Amino acid sequence: MAATATYPPPPPYYRLYKDYIENPKSAPEPPPPIQGTYLLYGANYTTDEVLPSLEDQGVRQLYPKGSNIDFKKELRSLNRELQLHILELADVLVERPSQYARRVEDISLIFKNLHHLLNALRPHQARATLIHILELQIQRRKQAVEDIKRRREDAQKLLKESLGTLDGQ
Amino acid sequence: MDIISQLQEQVNTIASLAFNTFGTLQRDAPPVRLSPNYPEPPANSSESATDIAEQPKLMSAALVKAAKQFDALVAALPVSEGGEEAQLKRIVELQAENDAGGQELQKQLEAAEEELKQVQELFNQAADNCLNLKKLD
Repeated sequence: MAATATYPPPPPYYRLYKDYIENPKSAPEPPPPIQGTYLLYGANYTTDEVLPSLEDQGVRQLYPKGSNIDFKKELRSLNRELQLHILELADVLVERPSQYARRVEDISLIFKNLHHLLNALRPHQARATLIHILELQIQRRKQAVEDIKRRREDAQKLLKESLGTLDGQ
Repeated sequence: MDIISQLQEQVNTIASLAFNTFGTLQRDAPPVRLSPNYPEPPANSSESATDIAEQPKLMSAALVKAAKQFDALVAALPVSEGGEEAQLKRIVELQAENDAGGQELQKQLEAAEEELKQVQELFNQAADNCLNLKKLD
């Protein structure tokens, strides 16, 4: 007969919440969100999520560094480089097959740069999404204001009409 | 799927096409004469010659098509000029406009609720009067 382990008991501080229904303030507050770095399963994580640059990962950066990168141009030129390198690999395999390693390394370097560029586009996309959502919300609010104004005017008109009919009686 | 995920998928497709190409060529290549000391290897071709000539053409065509698709996707990127600061400025502007619109909405809502209360009050009075009149009859 196999012995199965029971579930661990609930944490002992459940007793502090005994009077929570009557007085929600008598029990301790939940802990505040963690800031800075924290330790999880023996590894350090940071709360500031930022994309590590290529040099941090030990990969050479092929596109020019700068604050404003022209993404489209760099992506297109990296694509052309990639095609040329694939062609070069095919040539090397025909003529000097033992020297494939360097070419394969170059191709993987280009792929890493491509993916890093695409990941760097994500914050831009996030901000653009936020702008879009704000614009939609502004439009909805304006629409609601117009609706309320129209309904109020209609109601006032109805009241005046009814007053007129009542007076006419 | 959004455009950046499509671009990432396209990059992965190009990579898999590339190594499928090289893998297939390497697997299906007929033996080749390396040194003049050894005799020419037996070439047993019948249908293999046509297939072996066809496959590189097809695979390289697929590779070039995938690369062109990538260029088309890059051209479709809606990247606005101005960069991060311009976007942040626009967000601040939009937030201010949103707050103003929200306050306007709140004002209109309060006025409308006020009017609703008045109308309900009047309606109650009128209904009471009607009942009282009916009772007197």
